[in-house]
Amino acid sequence: MIHTILIVDDSTISRKIVKKCLPKDREFELFEAGDGLAGLEKFKEVKPDLVFLDLTMPVMDGVQALKEMLKVDQDAVVVVQTADVQKKTISNVMDSGAFTLLRKPLSPEAVAEVLRLVEGTGHKKG
Amino acid sequence: MSIAAEQALSREEQDILQELMNIAFGRASADLAEVIDTYVVLNVPEVRTLKVVDLPEFISTEISDHDIISIVEQSYLGRFKGVALLIFPSGAGRELLKLFGDNVEDYGEDVSMAALEKESILEVSNILIGACVGKVVELLDDEVSFSPPRIIIEDHPRNAIPCEIFEPDSLATVMRTVFQFSDRNISGYLFLINSNESFQWLKKALNRFMEQYE
Repeated sequence: MIHTILIVDDSTISRKIVKKCLPKDREFELFEAGDGLAGLEKFKEVKPDLVFLDLTMPVMDGVQALKEMLKVDQDAVVVVQTADVQKKTISNVMDSGAFTLLRKPLSPEAVAEVLRLVEGTGHKKG
Repeated sequence: MSIAAEQALSREEQDILQELMNIAFGRASADLAEVIDTYVVLNVPEVRTLKVVDLPEFISTEISDHDIISIVEQSYLGRFKGVALLIFPSGAGRELLKLFGDNVEDYGEDVSMAALEKESILEVSNILIGACVGKVVELLDDEVSFSPPRIIIEDHPRNAIPCEIFEPDSLATVMRTVFQFSDRNISGYLFLINSNESFQWLKKALNRFMEQYE
């Protein structure tokens, strides 16, 4: 089961939307970071069950952060949420090891489906 | 606090607008990438409120790396009301023309290179401005219409940047994003400048957007 979630996004509004889209009938321990580097540091510290990661961020972008997180833990479950929906971006993100990619703005339905998929695959620490 | 300051967007409202601009420009870039063989490198957009009288200097500073520019100016009309400025540095028209896969020879002697470059800039602006403004407004559950674009090719910023967009003593909200075409060494700047006429509606629409997540 997913319990700890790290949300990495430079937009406070986007982080708020992710939190609001999580199922209301479950409890999660949430962590946040405002850029890729801060997200990587938080990832190392808390070892989250799931990461929601933006792409276009200052300091370290999302693709670089994704690669670094997977170097730390090759089983990390990273869901990229982005406004950049160019085909090349999507293929680059998936080739870099993302679990999946969600288009912004997120919806509760899309987030619930991702949680179901992650937990269904048993992809991460139980 | 002045009436104008009270009407201006709060910090959170500006953050919401910035995220909507981020989403909208991402969609616009994907639309453009479908039309021409390019990849658009996106940057974090910025939103700020300025006095209208300070706009020309602000824009000039943002593009200060470039002595000569081309600029497309297009108004959007509706409750979300303002002016879009798409600015490219000198030479961008020629590079964009290549992205469309066009050669001046294909058009015969009657068509000049300058005309084709102008057309390529207008085509890119049509996609980027139309899709970006359209998506922002769609996310705010409204719609806009567009005026015909006005284009100035290869001129000095002091001649090209419009000085009298809105009433000089009013405020404007400026949404700015910078982008690059990765394989062509072309940068571009998109400014969406909303007049204070739309502030009241915009504040309500932005808060309504967030209410769906409450």
